[in-house]
Amino acid sequence: MSNFSLSSRSERDIDVMMPKGYINNIGAERLESTSEKFIDKGSKKLVVNFSDVQFINTIGLSIFLSIVQNSLESNSMLCFTNMKKDHREMFEMAGLIKHVKVFKDEKDALDYLNGRS
Amino acid sequence: MPFNSLQEKDFIGRLQEQANLFKRVLLAEKGQARSAVLSGQRGIGKTELLKHLFGQLFWKQDRVVPFWYSVNPALLSVTDFSKNYLARFICQRLAFPKKDQALFYQDGISIDDLSLLVEEREAFWAKEILDQYMRCSGDPLDALRIALAAPHRSTLSTGMPVAVLIDDFQLIQGLHLAGVPDQRLASLFQEPMTHRKTPHIISGNMAELQEMPGVSGLERIQVYPLGPEATSSMVLSLLNEHEAEGSMPPLLIRHLGGNPYYLGCIVNRVCEKNNPGEKDFWNAYIQEIMEGTLAHSWSSVLKSFFLDLGQRRTALAITSKIYHTSEALSCQRIAKVFALTDSQAHAIVQALYLAGFIRGEFGTFRAMDDRVLRDIVDSLFMREILAKSAHDLEGHFIEALVPQKETAVYFEMTLPIARDAELIVAQSLEQIGKNLNINQEAIGQLQIAVIEACINAMEHGRGMDDKVYISITAEDDHLEVSIESAGQEFIIQETGEPYRDQEAAKTTGRGWGLKLIKRFVDQVKFEKTKYGTKIKLVKKIERSAGIHKEDTVNHE
Repeated sequence: MSNFSLSSRSERDIDVMMPKGYINNIGAERLESTSEKFIDKGSKKLVVNFSDVQFINTIGLSIFLSIVQNSLESNSMLCFTNMKKDHREMFEMAGLIKHVKVFKDEKDALDYLNGRS
Repeated sequence: MPFNSLQEKDFIGRLQEQANLFKRVLLAEKGQARSAVLSGQRGIGKTELLKHLFGQLFWKQDRVVPFWYSVNPALLSVTDFSKNYLARFICQRLAFPKKDQALFYQDGISIDDLSLLVEEREAFWAKEILDQYMRCSGDPLDALRIALAAPHRSTLSTGMPVAVLIDDFQLIQGLHLAGVPDQRLASLFQEPMTHRKTPHIISGNMAELQEMPGVSGLERIQVYPLGPEATSSMVLSLLNEHEAEGSMPPLLIRHLGGNPYYLGCIVNRVCEKNNPGEKDFWNAYIQEIMEGTLAHSWSSVLKSFFLDLGQRRTALAITSKIYHTSEALSCQRIAKVFALTDSQAHAIVQALYLAGFIRGEFGTFRAMDDRVLRDIVDSLFMREILAKSAHDLEGHFIEALVPQKETAVYFEMTLPIARDAELIVAQSLEQIGKNLNINQEAIGQLQIAVIEACINAMEHGRGMDDKVYISITAEDDHLEVSIESAGQEFIIQETGEPYRDQEAAKTTGRGWGLKLIKRFVDQVKFEKTKYGTKIKLVKKIERSAGIHKEDTVNHE
């Protein structure tokens, strides 16, 4: 049994990814490939809901660099929600937080993105 | 005699090392075996390993003759040594084909009786060597050369290679001609050691061995301390041998540093009691370092290097100073502190180094990485220099050692190098946090740091047994997690950090590990250990009445 799983859904023009468990290299690569698929089909609004993320390691963190870079290159808005304080600190340390929007919960992110249509 | 070793079932944690040595020695058959020296701290099990190698070579194959010789300090006149060495070799060589153990016990055999034995066995190769030896017996140096060359000559005559296994080899330095020691005599071993069909595997006190001619050039085979699993099995086996039940406290096991000799001494003493408990183990340890076999063995080493009482007291005071000073000390500094001349300080420090009490690095000296030796140094210093009573000493050690186990909760585990194995430690920390009511935020941060440290250890720690050793100690105000792996990385002296993270930092995204660890714990320490490298993470904690609710980011 894997320590990581990923589900996703689309609400109108917003694509939401919900990783669960341990984001190591394998987990982050799956997130990367899923976000790429959304971007390839033209998505401009992406949300990653961290509520079920238990741990992130630095190898996983380094792969988030590509995810953020892809969203910037495709002019998509990337939002993070439901982050634990420590996970947020990790992203700050990696210098990634300035390139994404962080919300307390998914609803806040969806409200914000729906207001931008 | 080599046959008096531990039974195979009690020879724990050394099977791989024994197998490697066995393979190495069998290369003699193809003329490809090289001589080597076994290296490791006192009591680590070099002699036992050599004995088991001998047993395996003697009983379980018939292609390479094993010859065991343990240097006897009472037989160091060149004449006595040559005769003893030659007689033992011939007896063991004759014993090998039919596994005739009785020939091993012919210690005092005369040359005449040996000649008769050789004739009886029709061993013409041996007769030739003996005749030559007898012809040269008027010249002790020639006789010594003939004795040392005997294994090689027997190989040339019979085609059967010989593995020469010599224990306590450093004593060879004491060889003397007419009572006059001459270190050059030891150099006569150099030539026999070069033959690829008669490899010499030697062991002894490493500090002295590496100063000997011919030995420093030999390949060094490191004998490591036992790992936690092997240590626990060994304790169990020793207790079973005494038909005793009990369990050595994990902190004491850790204190003994995987040294089989130390373990044996403590178990022997504790088994004077029936069904010993934790306290009995600690008491046994304290008695051992104060007046037991352990204390006597180290005290004898000190006496053998410092015969004069006054000099021994100075040496002890210097050792204590080195053990209680965090930085390495130079000879000049020692000379100044103890009002000695530089040459006096140098002579004492050099002898302490050779005795294995201190280690030297680039002209400076540090304490050995051996907690038991540290305690014994303290005990000797307090008794002999400060004239403390046995009662005071006991009180000191009880206070210094035993309270640790009363306040601390200690866990240890061994991780295989496998995918996501780091989560096992992280999840365990969570449960420990719950059990001890530790603030969950602190646990969460420690988990992140531990995951990184474990990944690092697994990534760089492939080696001896592909395992990572974890210990978790929960004190009143902090949690300490130590992660040890076999990675032989080099630690930067100034910062105590490993080189590899500097290298990793040059790659995008890598090298964040150490930064992250430092951000989430209060103290990070790196240590180069006998096994490899250890990182210790210390996190201050607060005990909470209940479990805190998870903290989430409140933003925008």
